[in-house]
Amino acid sequence: MAKILVVDDSSTVRDEVAGFLRKSGLEVDTAVDGKDGLAKVRTSPGLKLVISDVNMPNMDGLTMVEKIRGELANAALSVIMLTTESSPAMKDRGKAAGVKGWIVKPFKGEAVIETLKRLAS
Amino acid sequence: MISAHAKESFDRIFRQAARTRLVTVPGGVCEIRPLSDLAPGEAGLADTHRVAVLTISSLSFRLLIALHFGDDPATRGYFAGTGEARQHADAFMEVANLCSGAINQALVDYFPDLGMSTPYVLTNGSVAHWRELRAQHTAFYALAIDTTVKLAATLCVCANAPIDFVAHGTPVEGTSGELELF
Repeated sequence: MAKILVVDDSSTVRDEVAGFLRKSGLEVDTAVDGKDGLAKVRTSPGLKLVISDVNMPNMDGLTMVEKIRGELANAALSVIMLTTESSPAMKDRGKAAGVKGWIVKPFKGEAVIETLKRLAS
Repeated sequence: MISAHAKESFDRIFRQAARTRLVTVPGGVCEIRPLSDLAPGEAGLADTHRVAVLTISSLSFRLLIALHFGDDPATRGYFAGTGEARQHADAFMEVANLCSGAINQALVDYFPDLGMSTPYVLTNGSVAHWRELRAQHTAFYALAIDTTVKLAATLCVCANAPIDFVAHGTPVEGTSGELELF
């Protein structure tokens, strides 16, 4: 059962991030937007970490996190945003929704893998 | 409505973003040449090329960023490797997203209310209609990555209020890729 869910509307990013995490020995599933991500969180009780983009069609990443927190208030699930957005206002909204951390793209896996492994354990 | 300082700042920010985000191979070089008009052919692009488009919006302006890209072997190989046409478009959209994100990161220092769209791809047929945007500032560029990958770029700024700011083209690399824990 996957421990990490990567949510991004770009197949290029999904392949890059999920591929890196799998090579690092982690079990990974993917979702194509916030709506798909929310559905997979609801049906994947073993998830420990969600890595999500912000700007996506159908449902953006922060709305997805707000819905996750509304439904699973006590879940031991960490959420990291991986996005080109870096504005303080956007980060504040993420903090208020319970986001654990923020990575500004591009993704540099080697720099963050140890922390991601800890959050997924 | 858009000051000369602001136009120069948009130019500097775009050039910095293009040089750091369109080059995907370490050590690569992106040469940028201004064009006097919307003429992607002068950048070496065929009439069949496509355009990755994103917008950055604030309360006072909307910036349309269009990156024109071809489907020739050099461009496809650079951005998508051996991928199929769909993968090439998706890979280029993500590169365009990174480039626009870098512009967004530079502008947010001056306009804290920014929002950025998701990228989408249009055919070259849409280009002829862009003048209907009636942008107050438009800039055109020819780009060459390592001399072989030919791209073009169009920036359109539609202002709702006077815009005047000075950006010095600080590198956008900053803390990109680092995990900021809350």
